[in-house]
Amino acid sequence: MIKLEAPQFITRHVLFALVAGGIGGVVFMFFLIEFDHYTSSNAFCTTCHSMTYADDSYQSTPHYNSPSGVRASCGDCHVSEGIIMATYDHAIGTKDLIKQMFGPDYDDPVVNLLHLPEAAFAARDWFRKRDSATCKRCHTLDAIQGTRANTAAIHQEETEGKSCIDCHYNLVHRHVPSEQTFKREAWNAMVEEEFGLEPGTAAKLLANE
Amino acid sequence: MMSFLLRPNRPSAKALLLVCGVLGSSAAFAAKVALDPSNWGHPEGENCVSCHEKSSPGLAQQWHDSAHKEAGVNCLDCHQAEAAEPDAIEHEGQVIATIVSPKDCGRCHEKEYEEQAGSVHAEAYAIIKERIPALAHNVTGAAMQAAGCDQCHGSVVKVRGDGTLDPKTWPNSGIGRINPDGSKGSCSSCHGRHAFSKAQAREPSACVRCHSGPDSPDKEVFEASKHGMLYAAQRDQMNLHADAWVAGKDYTAAPTCTTCHMGAAGKIPATHDVGLRNAWNLNQPISYQQYLVLLEDGSKLELPATEKPPKRGSELEKADGRVAKVKAVISPDRRRAVMSMVCLECHAKGFTEGFMTQFDNVVELYNSKFGEPAEAIMAGLYERDLLTPLPFDEPLEFIYWELWHDEGARARHGASMASANHAWWEGMYLVGRNFYSRFLPEARAVAGDQAAAIIDPVLAESGKHEWLGEPTQANPILGWMPPPAPAADPMPAPAVEGGPSAASTTDAGTAVAAAQARAAGAEMPDADEPAAAADASEPDAAQAADQAVGNSADVEAD
Repeated sequence: MIKLEAPQFITRHVLFALVAGGIGGVVFMFFLIEFDHYTSSNAFCTTCHSMTYADDSYQSTPHYNSPSGVRASCGDCHVSEGIIMATYDHAIGTKDLIKQMFGPDYDDPVVNLLHLPEAAFAARDWFRKRDSATCKRCHTLDAIQGTRANTAAIHQEETEGKSCIDCHYNLVHRHVPSEQTFKREAWNAMVEEEFGLEPGTAAKLLANE
Repeated sequence: MMSFLLRPNRPSAKALLLVCGVLGSSAAFAAKVALDPSNWGHPEGENCVSCHEKSSPGLAQQWHDSAHKEAGVNCLDCHQAEAAEPDAIEHEGQVIATIVSPKDCGRCHEKEYEEQAGSVHAEAYAIIKERIPALAHNVTGAAMQAAGCDQCHGSVVKVRGDGTLDPKTWPNSGIGRINPDGSKGSCSSCHGRHAFSKAQAREPSACVRCHSGPDSPDKEVFEASKHGMLYAAQRDQMNLHADAWVAGKDYTAAPTCTTCHMGAAGKIPATHDVGLRNAWNLNQPISYQQYLVLLEDGSKLELPATEKPPKRGSELEKADGRVAKVKAVISPDRRRAVMSMVCLECHAKGFTEGFMTQFDNVVELYNSKFGEPAEAIMAGLYERDLLTPLPFDEPLEFIYWELWHDEGARARHGASMASANHAWWEGMYLVGRNFYSRFLPEARAVAGDQAAAIIDPVLAESGKHEWLGEPTQANPILGWMPPPAPAADPMPAPAVEGGPSAASTTDAGTAVAAAQARAAGAEMPDADEPAAAADASEPDAAQAADQAVGNSADVEAD
């Protein structure tokens, strides 16, 4: 008969620490899951006024209102799956919080729009680096049928070496050109025209930040 | 080419040949692309085709059926762009532009690009730019500019800051479109994309989208002319797919719009400057003949021939405010001579000259009788503040606008392309009706007690409106003859029963004359000359008069 005997170094204190640590770890994991879940919600994201501009355009697209009733939340697209990557994304995302607090006044619609292209370029890079992983949470390439005659054929035959984001950008948020063809002066002029500002105002606003 | 001055008003065969040289290259048809094929066939273009066969099979098929495809020109060859271009976008990994401008087409089709630059087509937006707000914004609304004016004249395409094309200005294939790359025009205005069939562009239908309707009814004019009649009957003999399409050689069945205004004919080369052979401007309040001025910078300018021609080497300010040196001046006579040489492929010289004389006479009649007086009367009313400068806030301004812009243009276009119906019923008849029954009464009402000072001298000076001073002229066309002077015999005659004319007069002579006129009018439908109808000594008229005297009630019952 084998007698199980704890090693010498497992003292009562060690045992207590292990149990407490284990329980603490489990609680922490639950906390992270809940934390990631909450911080991925539309309600959390739009607690910053600056995010309501992104929310406005999103609410007019099928990602918000789909006929099937499926609704993609901010986090569904912009936060990776799995607790580790989700936590990582949120940790990285705190830079947005810091900028919101100490950076330009993103709550101002003019400032917000002036900075939108950089945000869009960063988001597109993020999708590309992850091979559009968050798109694939819901969309399966093999299952895409579409409503037009050849949508399925295009997705089967024309997508080699391409990721969703390569073709499908400007889907949910306000239209921003590709980084390659983006023209800052034209963008500034558009913002000035839209808000009735004197030409040159946008450049001054950006220079003074 | 285009390097020598052509002095106007000295027509000669030698000069004519020079004009031919100026007006195009030595080739008798649209130039073959001179570039080496290594300039096209972009390797990535195959991917465009593969996807667009599925996403937009219609346009892909049009390209498949095109000469472009046959030559190995693919989507990217035309649509590729530099990232720095204003309308460049990223599309499936390629930097492209949606709009293929004349400048883009000109990368291969140099000759056509140069010819159309500065033409009345390429300048179609610039020409009416100042006029647009009055009708498109004040009278209607800006939506009409995009859906109406700009669809023919061209839009100023606006690329928004987000890289998209402003739907107020795009889609648009107006022929004077101002493109994001600064070039003017739109090849796809006439050449349906993406097939670019030369046969299609040679059809009259290529012009119909814009050259139809009340102000420039060239479709209707052509169809109502003998040219149009022959084209409709003999379309299968038009040889529209021919490579070189030289009138008189490759086809003789009928001319189309392209034949006379652009096409090769005999020794006359084809040209993409559509207005080049037009001696007159027919779309102004008053028509004038015009010089075509070729400028050193490759652009062109049309100037009224009522002024002295600009000297070669002198500087001229263009519509866009830029200054350019004069390279050559082509006189209206030269332009007419080139057009006439097209006619000569099918018509005799005398026939051609006679037709041109008939046409010129109509334009000169319009100018002197209606265009010039109407313009002078309007100027008089504006000068005296009887009309506000604001256009179209007074009924007279609509009346005047339609007089020259619609009815007057129809009359002139009808005469220029041999539609009797448009020259007369749809044209000059309406000009006359408008002038006498709407324009003059309304102008007199506006002028009030100044009418005698503003209007009457203008009418008198034109010398064309004296007939108004003879209100007792015979009137067979409307079935009424004024009574002659009272007869010498004072004896009262018995009234003829049953006739309203007889009842309206107690004078036998008057009644007889009226009855004569009615009878003559009724029995002689061709007698539209007052003299013929009124002259009872003519056998027919006398017979009719006898009949009228014998049984006027019956005649009237007819």
